[in-house]
Amino acid sequence: MKTETSYQVEILDQRTRFTLREVCERSDVHAEFVVKLVNYGVIAPIDEGPASTWAFDAMALARLRKAQRLQRDLKLNVPGLAMSLDLLDDVEQLRREVARLNQQLRQFMED
Amino acid sequence: MEFKDYYATLGVKEDASPDEIKKAYRKLARKYHPDISKEDKAEDKFKDVGEAYEVLKDPEKREEYDQLRKYGAGRGDHFEPPPGWQSSSRFGGGGYTEADAGQFSDFFESIFGGGGRHGGFGGFRQNMRMRGEDVHARLALFLEEAYNGCEKQVSFDVTESDSQGMPLRRNKTLKVKIPAGMSQGQHIRLKGQGAPGFGGGEPGDLFIEVELAPHPVFTVEGRDLIMKLPVTPWEAALGAEVTVPTLGGKVKVKVPKGATAGKKLRLKGKGLPGKTAGDQIVVLQIAVPHKHTDDSEALYKQLAEAEKGFNPRAHLKV
Repeated sequence: MKTETSYQVEILDQRTRFTLREVCERSDVHAEFVVKLVNYGVIAPIDEGPASTWAFDAMALARLRKAQRLQRDLKLNVPGLAMSLDLLDDVEQLRREVARLNQQLRQFMED
Repeated sequence: MEFKDYYATLGVKEDASPDEIKKAYRKLARKYHPDISKEDKAEDKFKDVGEAYEVLKDPEKREEYDQLRKYGAGRGDHFEPPPGWQSSSRFGGGGYTEADAGQFSDFFESIFGGGGRHGGFGGFRQNMRMRGEDVHARLALFLEEAYNGCEKQVSFDVTESDSQGMPLRRNKTLKVKIPAGMSQGQHIRLKGQGAPGFGGGEPGDLFIEVELAPHPVFTVEGRDLIMKLPVTPWEAALGAEVTVPTLGGKVKVKVPKGATAGKKLRLKGKGLPGKTAGDQIVVLQIAVPHKHTDDSEALYKQLAEAEKGFNPRAHLKV
């Protein structure tokens, strides 16, 4: 019988940190790009300070990848990326809010 | 193989100018970008649009495609390139990216050959020791699955290299144990399950971001679960012990005497589990029967008399 491996996972929280070097290696980007994203507020290191001391959490890592994909596929510059990602966050939040309100409205109408 | 109408994919006429094609592509790429669109199959559409643009933006490829289009029109699902067909425009990359080029369709490959195997890149990587790239994926869970933990299949694309060191996209599926208590937006990691390293470098990791599907009873705020609980006016007025559903099973809850609609009851630790488990917050709603018996009507009249001084519309100044 074929047995399928079931992989154990590691839950990431605020204590999981990635140095600037790690972020660059993991995402195959230059440090300059990361610095630019930080300067435009697209991602933020956990603590402010010189770039050599920066550390990022898993959310920043995921956001960097999203920024990379948008830059690659839509040819956005960094200010454009910053604005797009902020707007996408807002849209996501509003979508969730609308879904929640619709659900409440349905419950209200059923009463 | 189905004949792909690239003009229809981009929504342009056959005689569209390069500018019109570029404009249409840019618009559709924004519309269907998987990071932007929530539309069903957005990713497939985005790939189709990219493939169509790859062909139509290049005059040489476009001319060849136009010839084949005349030949293939009306053949529906049964398109095969004419015998001996060979494209003169070797696919060597262009505006489209290395990462996605490997996903062009069989139709594209049958015309222009070898998918998105870009030259030059693999050789460069082969001589270097490099860590493999991380892969980021998203996984939607039902709230019950997040609460109890579950096993899930996770599919994602990963870039590997073939025997010549050329990048090659491969779809990978893993069975993953999701621990109990995952919350919205939380990340988990599978070490070493990303892209393989180059030149002996270690492989990348797979990161999964959890997304919780909307639930009919509970809404989620962080680790807390919020639900509305209907109670009768007499349960609210007199206090009562009522049964409340939680994700961990039914529990008895005391509604305090004199409770009003909107009152919140906190069930400690009944939210999503974790190092600090969330709470379940029960918001009271007053429910009245649709019909009353003569006896109840008489009692309501008595109540109306006794509560004469209460104006629930005072805040409306009426």
